[in-house]
Amino acid sequence: MNINRRFQYFSIGLIWVWLAIFACIPTLLVLATSLLSNRVDSDFIQLHLTLQNYIGLLDTVYLKIFLHSFYLSGSVTLLCLLLGYPFAYILARIEEKYRGLLLLLVIIPFWTSSLIRTYAIVILLKAKGILNAFLLWLGVIHQPLQLLYTNTAVLIGLVYTLLPFMILPLYANIEKLDTELLDAARDLGASRPRMFFKIILPLTWSGILAGCMLVFLPAMSMFYIPDLLGGAKSMLVGNLIEDQFLAAHNWPSGAAVSILLTLIMGLLLGIYWYTASENNKKEATFL
Amino acid sequence: MRKMKNIICFFILFFLSFSAFAKPNELNVYNWANYMPKDIIHQFEKETGIHVNYSTYDGNDTLYAKLKADPRAGYDIIVPSSYFVDRMRDQNMLRVLDKSQLPNFKYLDKALLDKSFDPGNQYSIPYFWGSTGIVVNKNYFDPNTITKWSDLWEPRFKDQLLILEDPHDVFSMALIALGYSANDSDPQHLQQAYEKLKALLPNIKLFNSDAAKVNYIDEDATIGMGYSGDTYQAMTENSNLVYIYPKEGFVVWIDCMAIPKHAPHVENAYKFINFLMRPDIAAKLSQELDYASPNEAARDLLPKAMRENKAIYPDDKILARAQFEEDSGNVDMIYEKYMEELKVSA
Amino acid sequence: MNRLTRFAYLGAIYLFFYLPILILIIYSFNNSAYSMVWHGTSTIWYKQLVQDTDLQVIALHSLTVGVLAATFATLIGTLTAVALYRYSFVGKKLLRTLIFILIVSPDIVMAISLLILFSTLKMTLGFWTLLLSHITFCIPFVVVTVFSRMVGFDKNIFEAARDLGATDFQIFRRIFVPMLWPAIIAGWLLSFTLSLDDVIISYFVTGPDYQILPLQIFSMVRLGVTPEVNALCSVMFGLTLIIVFSAQFVLRKKR
Repeated sequence: MNINRRFQYFSIGLIWVWLAIFACIPTLLVLATSLLSNRVDSDFIQLHLTLQNYIGLLDTVYLKIFLHSFYLSGSVTLLCLLLGYPFAYILARIEEKYRGLLLLLVIIPFWTSSLIRTYAIVILLKAKGILNAFLLWLGVIHQPLQLLYTNTAVLIGLVYTLLPFMILPLYANIEKLDTELLDAARDLGASRPRMFFKIILPLTWSGILAGCMLVFLPAMSMFYIPDLLGGAKSMLVGNLIEDQFLAAHNWPSGAAVSILLTLIMGLLLGIYWYTASENNKKEATFL
Repeated sequence: MRKMKNIICFFILFFLSFSAFAKPNELNVYNWANYMPKDIIHQFEKETGIHVNYSTYDGNDTLYAKLKADPRAGYDIIVPSSYFVDRMRDQNMLRVLDKSQLPNFKYLDKALLDKSFDPGNQYSIPYFWGSTGIVVNKNYFDPNTITKWSDLWEPRFKDQLLILEDPHDVFSMALIALGYSANDSDPQHLQQAYEKLKALLPNIKLFNSDAAKVNYIDEDATIGMGYSGDTYQAMTENSNLVYIYPKEGFVVWIDCMAIPKHAPHVENAYKFINFLMRPDIAAKLSQELDYASPNEAARDLLPKAMRENKAIYPDDKILARAQFEEDSGNVDMIYEKYMEELKVSA
Repeated sequence: MNRLTRFAYLGAIYLFFYLPILILIIYSFNNSAYSMVWHGTSTIWYKQLVQDTDLQVIALHSLTVGVLAATFATLIGTLTAVALYRYSFVGKKLLRTLIFILIVSPDIVMAISLLILFSTLKMTLGFWTLLLSHITFCIPFVVVTVFSRMVGFDKNIFEAARDLGATDFQIFRRIFVPMLWPAIIAGWLLSFTLSLDDVIISYFVTGPDYQILPLQIFSMVRLGVTPEVNALCSVMFGLTLIIVFSAQFVLRKKR
């Protein structure tokens, strides 16, 4: 028994103990809760095993909520990709000494409370807000536009909040791109679109996937942005879980939705694993 | 090795913390944010030498869920709204109040005491109260043409209404508009209320409770539901707003002080509640926060303009139409289900 | 794309990122309590902020928890990532699954389950429960960041070091930590950011005598955003800028 083993046991033991207490037990609690039935009068749950909470999720209402969330997250992800890819590409091609600072400047705004930043967007978009005042001043419009409480406002808010999660992985990936390869292709007479689709896109594919995951997953549960900017007229999976726990006091059903969400996301991750090439898999973080 | 030492220190401290328990001369107040001015807390601390820890929650639901998950969370005073007082009292989460320790109780307005959510005020003491009514901006709509809840269904309000986000407020409104009690829990009546609300959907611009005030002030919304206190505050910044008590009736809610079952500093909690019922303190509270005080003696100390503002102090004739909020039993899940359906079909 | 279009594009996106912050700062000088329309300049909100000692204490609490949680999460997360990379042991897959679950769990679910756990363990809610929870939700982000940096390391270095008589702990300190340093810093910053912005978990696991800033902001906003909140956020933003740029400066000098 030497000092080597001691270090090994210490680090493995530490994380095991930590996760067993603070991740494993709570997860088991959630799983167990999702299998119990609800009682409202005094306690939230009663010890009666049932699958009712999962069966209840077969209702079309939940299907619609999930589909709407997927649709919204999907559009946000697509928008982020379209905006973020050129940005990351340009950033990765800028002189090296400025890159670090420029990248840092992307993250800094996100150290201010996200709720307050969303309210700043409200100030921008409201009927008597900055954007309307500006457009009126320009004479482009004569009546204030209804910008707030629309789907566009929701999209702007979500894209704003999630764009860095797309840019960072893309940047890390594009930065490694070999310029000589592109030069060679150009010398051989490849057209620009051809170069992009045949070389650049395949080489940065894992970055695109990673970015899409990091945008898509959080967008599903980021409910306060649709609430504040969209007027809370629609319901997302995030709202659903929160409301089940807090408004409906139906913990078992909330737990069931949460488990379902985790499973779906696990499935998405599985698809990612499956589609990522062997090489990318190794680089695709440890998950 | 320094890191190892740190870790060991951490765990030692970690276990030490278990032995750290509530100090005797403290008071843990748990209230809505911005619902108690700091100088009043400081005055209490000065007068009694009790140290107050003031922490905040953002809604009845979160307060209830937290106390449910950990009944020994250590709070001495909480301020739930009336229907949550009803529920928490039913579920044995509150302590019966010893009125002999609360001599200032006599200053409270009898009209707001002994309501069905807490008969005899055994568990709760009114802190502020208000109503839920209709808010109109007179620059956009003639307030005289709007007298009752059912007017909100008129097609001229298409995509205009601000509806409060709390399912309780929404269903109370629909139930009253249908002629039922706000506290009705008959599933058939609730179904009707849902249908009624579905018909209202085209008129709804947004659901919002938190920023209703701002929306009315900045005229992002020009008609809809509102709380009386919020509206009164909004009126100070936008004089075009009018608060209307609907003809069919309206809900009156009372935010009440209560002591949780497992409060660690009960004596101090009594002292604080009694302090807050002192007329001069209650008047100061009401004046600084612009909410209606349930304290009759304090009301006389208020400036005339505030005392006579109908939006926060309705006269007896209006008050005769009021319905006091209570816990209508097992309706939360039904409300939630209908709200999901409503929002999905929006 | 020519140079000009490229810079214009970068500039437009940065404008998009900073516009809300700019609005926030401007409106912290707004002379109105509730309205979000411009009503003239006033510094009253900053004066209120300076006088509000409670808020300063709360901000200090937040920073304490943020720094401690980020530090411990980075420590544990780095050890975990190295262990996952170097050793094979029982339940490695389960460990990864647990970390994945921690990332995808909605806040409210994690919050209530942790609260029930603390309640069962009879722990007094407050600083410690808050710190433990924050460390827990930060760990996965550190593990992912650090682990991704290790991919592509030359494993021969560790063998060589071992052959030369280095213990595992020495290898960790002298080889892993320096090589992983940028990822460790990134993980720390990420954790700090997460800790500073967390509302729901903190709400449930903190106790009466330990309030933190995100909670305060959240409940203040529930009753209407006042310019005081904006002033507070502007001050915090200014502070982070100063910290970030001085850190950048120091790091650059060191290099």
